[in-house]
Amino acid sequence: MNRLSKATVLSHKSVGRGYYRIVLNAPEIASAARPGQFVMLRVSENLDPLLARPFGISDVPTKSSVEILYRVVGRGTTMLTGRKAGEQLGVLGPLGRGFPLPEKNTTLVMVAGGSGFPPLHFLSRQVGCSSHLFLGSRDRACLPPAGILKNFRSSCTRVHIATEDGSMGTKGMTTDILNVFVTKLEKKFNIVLCACGPHSMLAAVSRIATVHAIPCYVSMEERMACGLGACMGCSIPMKRGGYKRACKEGPVFDAQEIDWSERVALPFPQMNKRLNTRER
Amino acid sequence: MKKIPIKVKPNLNINFAGIKLKNPVLTASGTFGYGEELAEFVDLNLLGGVIVKGISLTPIKGNPPPRIWETPSGMLNAIGLENPGVDVFLTEKLPYLRKFDTAVIVNIFGYSLDEYVKVTECLEGVQGISAIEVNISCPNVKAGGMAFGTDVHATSELLSAVRKATNLPIIAKLSPNVTDVTEFAKAAQDAGCNGLSLINTLLGMAIDVRCRRPRLANCTGGLSGPAIRPIAVRMVWQAAKAVSLPIIGMGGIMTGDDALEFILAGASAIAVGTANFANPRATLDVLEGLENLLIEQRVGTIQDLIGKVNVR
Repeated sequence: MNRLSKATVLSHKSVGRGYYRIVLNAPEIASAARPGQFVMLRVSENLDPLLARPFGISDVPTKSSVEILYRVVGRGTTMLTGRKAGEQLGVLGPLGRGFPLPEKNTTLVMVAGGSGFPPLHFLSRQVGCSSHLFLGSRDRACLPPAGILKNFRSSCTRVHIATEDGSMGTKGMTTDILNVFVTKLEKKFNIVLCACGPHSMLAAVSRIATVHAIPCYVSMEERMACGLGACMGCSIPMKRGGYKRACKEGPVFDAQEIDWSERVALPFPQMNKRLNTRER
Repeated sequence: MKKIPIKVKPNLNINFAGIKLKNPVLTASGTFGYGEELAEFVDLNLLGGVIVKGISLTPIKGNPPPRIWETPSGMLNAIGLENPGVDVFLTEKLPYLRKFDTAVIVNIFGYSLDEYVKVTECLEGVQGISAIEVNISCPNVKAGGMAFGTDVHATSELLSAVRKATNLPIIAKLSPNVTDVTEFAKAAQDAGCNGLSLINTLLGMAIDVRCRRPRLANCTGGLSGPAIRPIAVRMVWQAAKAVSLPIIGMGGIMTGDDALEFILAGASAIAVGTANFANPRATLDVLEGLENLLIEQRVGTIQDLIGKVNVR
């Protein structure tokens, strides 16, 4: 297949809470895409911005279309909001390695933080097994848009929400309610964790998975120039030394592979303390 | 210059330091991997040549992330010369490139003079290598790299040592982070180099004003892309006047027009770099653009345009 193409924008709308939903006519991408994979979109054909932007695929609404949910965070995404239905966008994809699709008798536990939910949205709509979604944010306003929450509620067995200020769901961290949930589970086999969100959250999810010996897959974010493994910009530090490319060997990695220590300074001190006690 | 009839396919062949190139379009080191990464989008047989990502004696891990940051019409990178080492290159990467009818130019670097010589020796007599490009200009490593390329005596000493270690044509990739590039061009010529590559990236920096931290973990990085093109054209023009060596011009080439700018300034060949990241087919777009320009200007052979900028 030709992964480099021009795709017509079928629809492009604000969906609330600072998010936009863009649907592209891209039959080849739609038929090949797997949850966790991404595309590089050119927000403009000019030299500035020079590089395309990576976006996780959030759904394949029809056989021939691809949906991207994105939050406006900078210059590239601001420019993207100006692209209208009927216009053409340069698109490269699908790229990278996605989540392993869980088998029927598995319980899929998804964890999303910040604006990390789009790949999990795609995943939740593709799986046939029971699934739980753990969503976390600072406050109610930072949660995914209402329409997306509704989709998750219809595709998942249950949606668990935690906000730091308690304005929706449980007051606290997603990883706190995740930890309680996983601890209470009687049978810890046939569970798979899939997470996407801030680095600190992924590190915490990975620790929970380690403690309970649950397989865990994380979707990593890093700035990238090409999306094809040539620029070596999107390096993720590995436990056994060296780096792997988020665009090629990732963005989804087995959480056990990743060296979580390289970047973070205790994002959830209270939680690390608790986990450390448990490990001992 | 002989005008030729409209719509005759121009001759793009170039003899670069004895290397026969089917056209002057090459890939800049570090932007095209080892060919395989972008072969899905570019038939490598159509390119003049592939300059591979820099190879060292032993594998290099590279710098911690973040390694790249986009800037106006350009980007900063501090990859730190990550590569699998010369042994893996020879056993796993080069066999793939040998399958194509294109020149393979191997970019090398080291952290000491000794390492440069040793990696050069490893490439001696290996089938399928057209030339060696010696990187003395990477701004992102503490020892080696630019430390050699910004000191004219170190440049001479290093290039002379590499010269003695190989019979292959050697091309010195010079740093733009110097006051007078012609001194270095002359030093390379006197050391017995067969060609020059101009330019490597310009040392730059970007800061996140909210976190008050550098955008790159390495603090500084190399600036590339269209933002640096006028500097690159100027340096190619200066070097071409100062030495008789053929030059591979590079720095922000996105189109055929950009490529011709370098050729008119005195480059015999050009390399497409950062454009490969923005558009994986960039090399072929540049080639097509260049060919169309020659047809439009009714120029029969590209050779006739090298250094032909009219300076009054």
